[in-house]
Amino acid sequence: MAEFSKYLKLTGLMMKNCLVREMQFKANFVVRLFTETMWLVMQFIYISVMYGQTGQIAGWNMWEMVVLAGTNHVIAQLFEALFYDNCMRLIDQIRQGDLDFNLIKPINTQFLVSLRYTDYASIVNSSIGIGIILFALGKLGLGITLGGVVLFAALVANSILIYYSILFILSVWTFWIGRSNNLMELYWQFGQFSRYPGEIYPWLLRRLLQTLIPMLIVSNVPAGVLIHKLQTGLIFYGFTLGVVFLALTAWIWQRGLQRYRSASS
Amino acid sequence: MTTAAPTAQNRSPLHKYWVILSTRTQEDMTYRFNYVFGAIFRFLPLVTMIFLWYAVYMGRNMAPINGMSFKDMIVYNALMYIARGFSSVPGTMNDISKDIKDGLLNRYLIKPMDYFGYQVMYRLAHKLVFWYIALLTFPFVFWFMSASGHYFTHWPTLWEALAFLASLVIAFCVGIQFCFMIGNLAFWFLEISTFLFVVMMLEFFLSGQLIPLNILPQWMHQFLFLSPFSYEGYWPCVILMGKVPQDQLLPVLGRGVLWVGVFYAAVRVMWRMGLKRYSAVGG
Repeated sequence: MAEFSKYLKLTGLMMKNCLVREMQFKANFVVRLFTETMWLVMQFIYISVMYGQTGQIAGWNMWEMVVLAGTNHVIAQLFEALFYDNCMRLIDQIRQGDLDFNLIKPINTQFLVSLRYTDYASIVNSSIGIGIILFALGKLGLGITLGGVVLFAALVANSILIYYSILFILSVWTFWIGRSNNLMELYWQFGQFSRYPGEIYPWLLRRLLQTLIPMLIVSNVPAGVLIHKLQTGLIFYGFTLGVVFLALTAWIWQRGLQRYRSASS
Repeated sequence: MTTAAPTAQNRSPLHKYWVILSTRTQEDMTYRFNYVFGAIFRFLPLVTMIFLWYAVYMGRNMAPINGMSFKDMIVYNALMYIARGFSSVPGTMNDISKDIKDGLLNRYLIKPMDYFGYQVMYRLAHKLVFWYIALLTFPFVFWFMSASGHYFTHWPTLWEALAFLASLVIAFCVGIQFCFMIGNLAFWFLEISTFLFVVMMLEFFLSGQLIPLNILPQWMHQFLFLSPFSYEGYWPCVILMGKVPQDQLLPVLGRGVLWVGVFYAAVRVMWRMGLKRYSAVGG
């Protein structure tokens, strides 16, 4: 328990440290909020053009699709806030041997390198996603229960961890191949698959996106809870997948560390 | 003293641009696996696109949208990769505005060459390597699309093929000149990164990359089809797809050339006016 509170306290300290740094560039928040909103407007135009041609896409109506887009936005932004930068930095640390400084600290290194930096602008941005979800739910005439909110939040957290696991594994790859910046591009490319309903994909691709590259689990399952479009089985499956992926990161991290060659000395 | 090799004096004045092109190409080739990787995975969004639009068309019993059938829609999105392979020159706006803001322009100004000539060669080298790799992957994708779904229903006529090639040249010229124009704004404004983002979004939409321009509402057509951005994506695609009547090919291309001219003039004027304000910080 003492161990747990130590980690909790450390997380608080690291986040506070980043907040102090970010507050020096307050205008940055406004800029990021603006650019992300533009990006969402583009997505909304795309969705509305498609629904201008048909009332239903693979059994989803327009506002249900907007709930999905909003959910996806919340998850992606929170993931980027907590982990994206850290994974990018990790690649350089491994390659340049800077990992030494983290390895000598009396704390779990995976924890430290994964959570060191927080991007607050992305946290602010995720609130637009919540606004969009609420607006779309209003249009659908759907209410939300307290239980629904709790389940949704838990699933969102789970999705963020799955995203983290995938990107962390891609970064740790650096131990073996020396440079994996290109692999990080995969994050943006895979992200494409999570934006739309799983029902549009043929059987094989859909199964692939629910297991090996679980892009459909991360967005479709939490959104499904809000619009009552889900089997309970998938919720349990999603949580299990989160645990499995997280365990996998720890295992690969240990294997990778054995290959670490430190700095040039 | 006479030597067999050409001396600096008797070389063509264009020789220096050739040197830039060739060094830059060699430099980019060093990282060719970077391109190979990109060339394969860039097609992943096309997969989503095919299934998404299939679901949309299923919802309307495969009825065409403004003359665009389902297969047209997919071919359009695939051809967009070719068009954007010519018109998009990533990093150009940023690099130019940075050169201006940070005073890095100095090192180009003192050299006996044209800054934009240098930029064109630099970006052209990038495009050459891009296409060298793309020629290995693009034909496979197109072959696969043709074999698996028979998407390509129109075989272009000779005129359409020629107009397509011309439109790709126009696409490159419009794309790069536009970047020069926006980059030049750094002479007047210190911080333009937000503005760059907005501009790139607009370009993304107005070029027809997001949605084919011809399925957007009718009242927007006049503006969309005449805008210079349509040459960065929309026109090359629809020309090769046979959606432009033969007697319209020349007028369409003509307007494109006109835009290239207008952009060129704008870049030069901005450059002259900008240099007068240029303070060469850090120099």
